[in-house]
Amino acid sequence: MNRFAALDKTPQARGLRLTQTHVLLVIVAGLAFVPLVVTDSFTLHSIIMILFFAYMATSWNLVCGYVGQLSLGHAMFNGVGGYVSVLMFTQLGLSPWLGMLFGGLLAMVLAVLIGLPTFRLKGPYFTLTMIAFAEIVRIWVENTNDFAGIPLKGAEGLIVPNRGDDFWAFQFSGKVPYYYIILTFLALALAATAWMERSKLGFCLKAIRGDRDAAEALGVNPTRYTSIAFALSAFMTAIGGSFYAQFFRYINPERSMGLELSIDMAVMAIIGGQGTVLGPLLGAAILTPIAELARGAFGGGLLGLHLVVYGFALMACVLYFPKGAIDPLRKIFRKIAGGGAK
Amino acid sequence: MSEEILRVEGLSKWFGGLQAVKDVSFSMHRGEILGLIGPNGAGKTTAFNMIAGFLKPSAGSVHFAGRDMTGRKPWDVCKAGVARTFQLSKPFGDMTVIDNLMVGGFARHTDRSRNRDRALEVADFLGLGPLVETEAQNLTAFDRRRLELARALCTEPELLLMDEVVAGATPSEAEEMVKLVRKVRDRGVSILIVEHVMKVIMSLSDRVIVFDHGELIAEGEPAAVVSRPEVLKAYFGENHDIPGA
Amino acid sequence: MDAFILSYAVVNGLLQGAIYGGVALGLSLIFGVLRVVNFAHGSFLMLSLYISFWCWSLFGMDPYLSALITVPVMFALGYMVQSVVIAPLIRRESAMVVEPLSALLLTAGVFLVMDNMALMAFGPDVRALQGAYYIPTIFIGGIPISGQRLIGALAAFVVALGISYWLRHSDMGRAIRATAQNRDAASMSGINVPAVYAVTFGIGCSILGLFGALISPFLPISPSIGLAFGIKSFVVVVLGGLGSISGAIVGGIVIGVFEAVASQFVTATSASIGSLVLFILILVFRPQGIMGRA
Repeated sequence: MNRFAALDKTPQARGLRLTQTHVLLVIVAGLAFVPLVVTDSFTLHSIIMILFFAYMATSWNLVCGYVGQLSLGHAMFNGVGGYVSVLMFTQLGLSPWLGMLFGGLLAMVLAVLIGLPTFRLKGPYFTLTMIAFAEIVRIWVENTNDFAGIPLKGAEGLIVPNRGDDFWAFQFSGKVPYYYIILTFLALALAATAWMERSKLGFCLKAIRGDRDAAEALGVNPTRYTSIAFALSAFMTAIGGSFYAQFFRYINPERSMGLELSIDMAVMAIIGGQGTVLGPLLGAAILTPIAELARGAFGGGLLGLHLVVYGFALMACVLYFPKGAIDPLRKIFRKIAGGGAK
Repeated sequence: MSEEILRVEGLSKWFGGLQAVKDVSFSMHRGEILGLIGPNGAGKTTAFNMIAGFLKPSAGSVHFAGRDMTGRKPWDVCKAGVARTFQLSKPFGDMTVIDNLMVGGFARHTDRSRNRDRALEVADFLGLGPLVETEAQNLTAFDRRRLELARALCTEPELLLMDEVVAGATPSEAEEMVKLVRKVRDRGVSILIVEHVMKVIMSLSDRVIVFDHGELIAEGEPAAVVSRPEVLKAYFGENHDIPGA
Repeated sequence: MDAFILSYAVVNGLLQGAIYGGVALGLSLIFGVLRVVNFAHGSFLMLSLYISFWCWSLFGMDPYLSALITVPVMFALGYMVQSVVIAPLIRRESAMVVEPLSALLLTAGVFLVMDNMALMAFGPDVRALQGAYYIPTIFIGGIPISGQRLIGALAAFVVALGISYWLRHSDMGRAIRATAQNRDAASMSGINVPAVYAVTFGIGCSILGLFGALISPFLPISPSIGLAFGIKSFVVVVLGGLGSISGAIVGGIVIGVFEAVASQFVTATSASIGSLVLFILILVFRPQGIMGRA
């Protein structure tokens, strides 16, 4: 017994555990210096989009990557976050900083209500159900101009009135503040994932993914833990939706709750490596530049080019790297960092 | 006799018009190994699943250490101190052995490092020590069974329900499994074991109960029970030679 | 509610629904045999609609006649997608843990590629074969019935019956059914499983080729129409029971009539939300569909 209990405390084992945290810290710290180097507003915009999608894919991954359920409906939470914070700002004058919390809470409630009856659906059935829920919300908003006195403005979308440089209005004249805000969100999301992975919640989720019956026999109530994770994931996604709305100062149902956004989130997490802390970040770092380059280089002339690339990347990934692009990197990393552990 | 740990009363299960388990009653004492035997389709696994919370009984009750557990969900049954293994082992394939075991630990404690130490200890106890960092999907069939048993132990059960511990194992593996089960019992865990292989049941059980066509037809010491005519009839039909007697 | 308007809605819902069913047939067939949910289903329809459109627009070809092109092209494309994209996964999975989501992700990749290539090639504009075709509207009991829709609806029944007959009575059909029941046993009985899968996928897509040609005269065509029909097909097939041929037609008719009648009472938006709600309810409470076995 003692021999193996001691293993836990060997320097190699501890080193191995710390390195993931180290990598995280190095990445976040490195990113913090980016605005000092990149002063061109267009490039900074693109990097903000990379961080935004990294954040969204990380939020998606929190439940879907760990439970192994493929949600292609997460955009609805993004939409809820965006619409709630914008409407509270325009209608009640409430700061989007507070509005986004309300949006997040509403998304949580929605997630639990949707999750309770649907979590036991397996594989493609769950995926189709989530698409249906998201489509219901999108179609409803798209066709509703006014709901109980709230001007949703249907397909036209909502514009956030310009307030100039105003922290409480979540509006800034330059792009740098947005950069640091989304970087902070991303760092928190990554930290939350890293924490969850090592906590009881993470173990329970991975067990449910591995074998539901066995998990139940080991004291895991699948509905309870999946709901908790789903609610967290929805909350984080909604916060991302608020950020998106403030950053572009415009949202509409198609962009902020359409299927395309759901697919983007899922594809990035899957290509990077779902069920890992850094995978979604890697996926966003690989894929978002393609979209940004296509947008920049062809000025929208080749609409859809990046999605063609995403499609091919997704197929290649499922066939040849089912664990995502992070897997080969991790193996190399383990060799360097934990060579002496075994 | 010592304290009663499991009491099953009038347990019944209907599937449509078919009654798989008919009004079965029995009880178990703390520290006992009870064998549950019977031919295929006798209702053993159905009864087993009702006790473990995986099936809701149509009638009857299950009491564990005096607490009514009838129709409770599997996770509640686990938290009450009853662990189970599956006939086909169900490892969490993409998790390491140690992580598999820690899932069991989290049923009782949220403290990660405590669970890890405890899991390492259990792994060592059952001979999985050298394999703790192996992904479960890379284990041999027998090591998966070991893992299944170890994982159940990590939930710190008072009663362990085991479904077919040696099915498909080689004779030497079966022998080792018997030793492991004994070791587990020596830690004070009571064990209810469903088994096909007579030899295993005979050498392991303190007492056996025999099912046939959903009914409990015999109960007693292994050697005495297997020579009873009704048991032989259930297993071998009308014309039989007494096996190993 | 006026009885005349209601019966008009029912009749149109029947026609529209049968067409939905016909479009969904391939999705159900492919799922029944391969256990693959083809996310790119609608994309194949979108592509055949464009082929019909360009045949008419560039060469003045009769849209119905373009079926002679769309059907073999879609068969070939489906055959190729199966044997190039999905077959490697099935080969890998026979040795490893089966993961139905991987197949869904692969076809989602196909969907992204096809839809966005169409977007790049044809742009987002909506096109129509305006005035390309005119089949007179007939009246039954005073109710006007669009000839083109009637042809589409009848085709759905003919194709469904044809496929069922073919599955039952041809050698290939038997091989397909055997493979659907047990891939490994079929393989051991000398059935060339990869070929059966590829042919099944090809047939599933060629049905879309036919319907692309049949509905192109009365449907505005855009790159995103594939997704709309794809989602509709999921609804239809889940309603009828995934894998069931007759279920696809019944599911289509239920959805068609439901939407047509409901839109007499509520807005069309609420009607399409209603059909999605129906879809969720079926998945949650009766996942085997109304025609599937429990």
